[in-house]
Amino acid sequence: MLGFASPWILAALATLPALWLLLRLLPPAPRQVRFPALRLLHGLTPRRDSAAHIPWWLLALRLALLTLLILGAAGPSLHPAPSPHGQTPLLLVVDDSWAAARDWPQRRQAMTEVVTEAARRQRPLLLLTTARPPDGGAVAVQGPLSAGAMQSRLAALAPKPWPSDRVAARQAVAAMDHDRVTEVIWIADGLDSPDHAGSQLAGALQSLGGGVTVLDGQSGRSLSLLNDGGGEQPMVAVRSLPSATPQRLAIRGLDAAGQALAREEATIPAGADQAAITLRLPVELRNRLAWLDIEDEPSAAATLLLDESWKRRIVGLVDEDGSTTPLLAPFYYVERALAPFAELGRGDIPTLLDRRPDALILADRPLNESESDALARWVRDGGALIRFAGPRLAAAIPAGGQLDSAMPMRLRPGGRSLGGAMSWTTPQGLARSFPTDTPLSDLKAPDDVKVLSQVLAEPDPGLNDKVWAHLADGTPLITADRMGRGWVVLVHVTANTTWSNLPLSGLFPDLLRRLVALGAGGRAASGTLAAGEVLDGFGLRHPAGGIVQSLPAEPAQRRPSPETPPGLYGPEGSRQAFNLGPLLPPPAALELPAGIQRQPLESADSPRDLSGLAFAAALLLVLADLLLTARLRGAALAGLVLLAMVSGQARAADDFALKAALSTRLAFVHTGDGFVDGKARSGLTALSRVVGERSTARLDAPMAVDLERDPILFFPIVYWPLSLDQKPPSAAAIAKLNAYMRSGGMLVLDTGAQQGGADTTDFAPLIQGLAIPPLSSVTGDHVLTRAFYLLKQLPGRWDGAVWVVDNGGGDDRDGVSPVVVGANDWIGAWATDAQGRPSFPCVPGGERQRELAWRFGVNLVMYALTGNYKADQVHLPAILERLGQ
Amino acid sequence: MIPPRALAEAQDLAARLPPLLVAAERVAASLAGGTHGRRRPGPGETFWQYRRAQPGDSAAAIDWRRSARGNGLYLRETEWSATQSFWLWSDTSGSMDWRSGPDLPEKRDRALLMSLALAALLLRLGERVAVLGTSEAPATGPGSLPRLAAELAARSGSTIPRPARPPRHGEVVLVSDFLMPPEQVSAQVSALAALGNGGHLLQVLDPAEETLPYAGRVRFIDTEDDSEVLARRAEDWRDDYARRLAQHRDALAAIAAAHGWSFATHRTDHPPQMALLALQVRLARPRSRR
Repeated sequence: MLGFASPWILAALATLPALWLLLRLLPPAPRQVRFPALRLLHGLTPRRDSAAHIPWWLLALRLALLTLLILGAAGPSLHPAPSPHGQTPLLLVVDDSWAAARDWPQRRQAMTEVVTEAARRQRPLLLLTTARPPDGGAVAVQGPLSAGAMQSRLAALAPKPWPSDRVAARQAVAAMDHDRVTEVIWIADGLDSPDHAGSQLAGALQSLGGGVTVLDGQSGRSLSLLNDGGGEQPMVAVRSLPSATPQRLAIRGLDAAGQALAREEATIPAGADQAAITLRLPVELRNRLAWLDIEDEPSAAATLLLDESWKRRIVGLVDEDGSTTPLLAPFYYVERALAPFAELGRGDIPTLLDRRPDALILADRPLNESESDALARWVRDGGALIRFAGPRLAAAIPAGGQLDSAMPMRLRPGGRSLGGAMSWTTPQGLARSFPTDTPLSDLKAPDDVKVLSQVLAEPDPGLNDKVWAHLADGTPLITADRMGRGWVVLVHVTANTTWSNLPLSGLFPDLLRRLVALGAGGRAASGTLAAGEVLDGFGLRHPAGGIVQSLPAEPAQRRPSPETPPGLYGPEGSRQAFNLGPLLPPPAALELPAGIQRQPLESADSPRDLSGLAFAAALLLVLADLLLTARLRGAALAGLVLLAMVSGQARAADDFALKAALSTRLAFVHTGDGFVDGKARSGLTALSRVVGERSTARLDAPMAVDLERDPILFFPIVYWPLSLDQKPPSAAAIAKLNAYMRSGGMLVLDTGAQQGGADTTDFAPLIQGLAIPPLSSVTGDHVLTRAFYLLKQLPGRWDGAVWVVDNGGGDDRDGVSPVVVGANDWIGAWATDAQGRPSFPCVPGGERQRELAWRFGVNLVMYALTGNYKADQVHLPAILERLGQ
Repeated sequence: MIPPRALAEAQDLAARLPPLLVAAERVAASLAGGTHGRRRPGPGETFWQYRRAQPGDSAAAIDWRRSARGNGLYLRETEWSATQSFWLWSDTSGSMDWRSGPDLPEKRDRALLMSLALAALLLRLGERVAVLGTSEAPATGPGSLPRLAAELAARSGSTIPRPARPPRHGEVVLVSDFLMPPEQVSAQVSALAALGNGGHLLQVLDPAEETLPYAGRVRFIDTEDDSEVLARRAEDWRDDYARRLAQHRDALAAIAAAHGWSFATHRTDHPPQMALLALQVRLARPRSRR
């Protein structure tokens, strides 16, 4: 099954015999060598003549080479596609919705194959993408296009984070010219909307008359949350088209930096279209969750952004006097129980309400009119108000029992006390179990809780429904009532141990966490939400731009579209997630009308172009020819060099990494300025030698790194002598440097600025984009001055200030500065010539200053190698002083 | 101009050689002060003898310290020390501007390096050194090395120069590849030797010029006049070429021997110290035993 695109080129094979004659006539050209002792060669006679005839195998090689070239040019292909339609136009319909992102590379491959095949036959091409383009334009048929234009459009095509608009696509097809027969290839995402727009589109395509082929790939799956924010563990539903075999998948929970915090494997049973999965992870980690996704499925619907509602709860403790007496203060136990799970704030009620808390806790505090109104308003908006009783509250109960509007029920004045010195009763324990159907019902009641005193609820017909916990004798201990979208909860004892030992029991933290989790709606941002970050079709986050607009306030009006793609909306700090998955209808398979050919994306016997193969073989033969002729001329060098050029590119990178990794070395940035590079190499070589002489660190010869090409993560120090002649590094190189500094490397930036009178700002373009935190100058107690020698100044050729990152040990680099900045031209001070004589004078300190520069170099290497190991030296005076006392 | 690096390299090379005491002969020809003691009183620095003052001696010449210890007046006499003049020449013709591989130095660089190292060595010993073919008188003192280096590098004749004021009773050191016809070398050497000069010939060759490592069809082009020779199989010429080179060297050695000069060879892939040490040994030997 071999066919040719341009069979007439094969006629050129007839010229082969002519080549054979030509090659026989021409001997190989001699090699030119200049040679001084030519006089001695004059008159020498050869013993026998060289091969004037070309050997038969070389001739065969060259003939084969030419044959391959001619065959390649004729465009051979395996399994050539039959072309019944000849030059009819081809309409390529591509579903570029979210559902196509899962196997987009395969889809792109299929598109390329279709276009290549059509280009070989020079058919006019039309393109229809069914999702709305990101510039907000309409869905329309593009073309006729040339194969090149088509390829470039397909290369720019990417899946969109919104569904396809098949209705608009059908209208676009209907508007086409139906007079010409047009063949259609539809690369479909396999999903249909509830109104069967996909089937209707297929019908419209059939009406073009050229036959429709649908290529099916894998359809995307979508994620949606089953429990909304503040729940215990994120529980997600994965929805997918039903498949005949069980689908195995893994859900991951990731933090903002993209690190996987949790991973849960699950299986969608055969024939089912969804599965529920719970991600189990500790609360501390849950607070760090930024998004969930399906492993190995880059798609907008398989990415579920989590917003602030997943973060720690904000809980306000109403505490005007700020008492923090241990064991006695009202909030002493509450604070300890909630601190691991919630963001706690103290203050008076207006201040706390400004922070829009999820829950407020009041301990033994009666409310006045305005306060209770404000709180009731806030509770109706979704807040959870948790009140503890106490002597002051009991004293404030009026005759009617209605204390204020922010109370679950009426109270009886006076309360009761149990087990006191003047009482016959004993302290009461908790009832064995909690009432069912309350947030507390699955808690276990410990035996050792004893209540000495409490306030009592006024018996009421509705009281029983409001009780969430009883004492053993049936009196309510915790009562709650729903107000609007929020809750008011009253715990009938104090929050400290005055009335009961409940705050001492293990039940207390669980209890409080359940109660605090009740408040959810307190922080809903109102109005339209400005776009922050949006997702692309592969589920990657980008800053919002282009035509992206604000998200409507009303959830019902929110639709994923080019104007409002899925993403994070709202002001910084209270972002709201707008996810694609929950908005999608249940997946329905695309049903096609009869007469449409349906085949999978990758078919085994698609046409394979063999011309590339032929040309590659010809190139190999050219190389062989070069080698052989080079041998004929007496040396195989030229051919070898050529071979090495072809294969050596990749190996060079490996060699570099190997060389850099096998021993500890310093490195400097190759600036392209010969003088600076030579100085840097010589200076660092000398420094490596001095470090070896004076300490046990052994450094191998320094290496030059090209920021654009070489990996730099192997080196403890990368010295960058900034040179005005250097081209600013590319963004990739800057990113490489940033990653290097982040992962523990040390970058030394040396402007040597005093030298040429250059201004420091001249170097700004060079280091633009480099993530350098705020710098401070090195003071006498910095580790850099103690790492090996005790130094007062850190001079180089000049003596000026040195700047390092001031972070006080607060980050994950143990307080080691990732960057050292100075203008002292240290390499100039270190540089020596081949005989070990210094190359440059030191100003103003002369040779003493050079010695200090050496010492700084040793300290710098030690600092890079040992980090803050010598940081305690900094505290030595204090330690000695303490020992002396 | 010669690059400062070559100068530093030559100084470095000279610094590593043991001090050389040149066997100076016929130093009487030179009246300049130097290091070669003549074993008789004269201008110099080393103490030679005290002698009684005689009428006619200048009062300023009397050594009063010695005179105070005895009766009569004494004069302090120093040993007459003289110096040897050296004339160096390093070939800078086109044939020297060549190397067979990128790892090797050019012959011209190597010849220059050896000449300069020798000059640095001699200057350090207080000898007087000049470049053959210039009008400058022999100079002394380490400070004159840069000037010598510039003169050595600037010379561009392809043959041994015929100076207008030829040296007399000096030592001549010629460094070249000596690929010119032996008759030409012979004429020059005998002209110099006739004026009482001793001398040394040092032939610097590239390894490729000794072994002819080429094979296959090769077109050889001369480095000076662009004439060509085509070898159909260069490897066949190797033995003949080696024989011819040996003959050429024999002829050069014979010329040197005939005038009491020395002849040595050096290959650029060998370290320069070897040839320089050998040259130093020959310089230290009296001319009659070379």
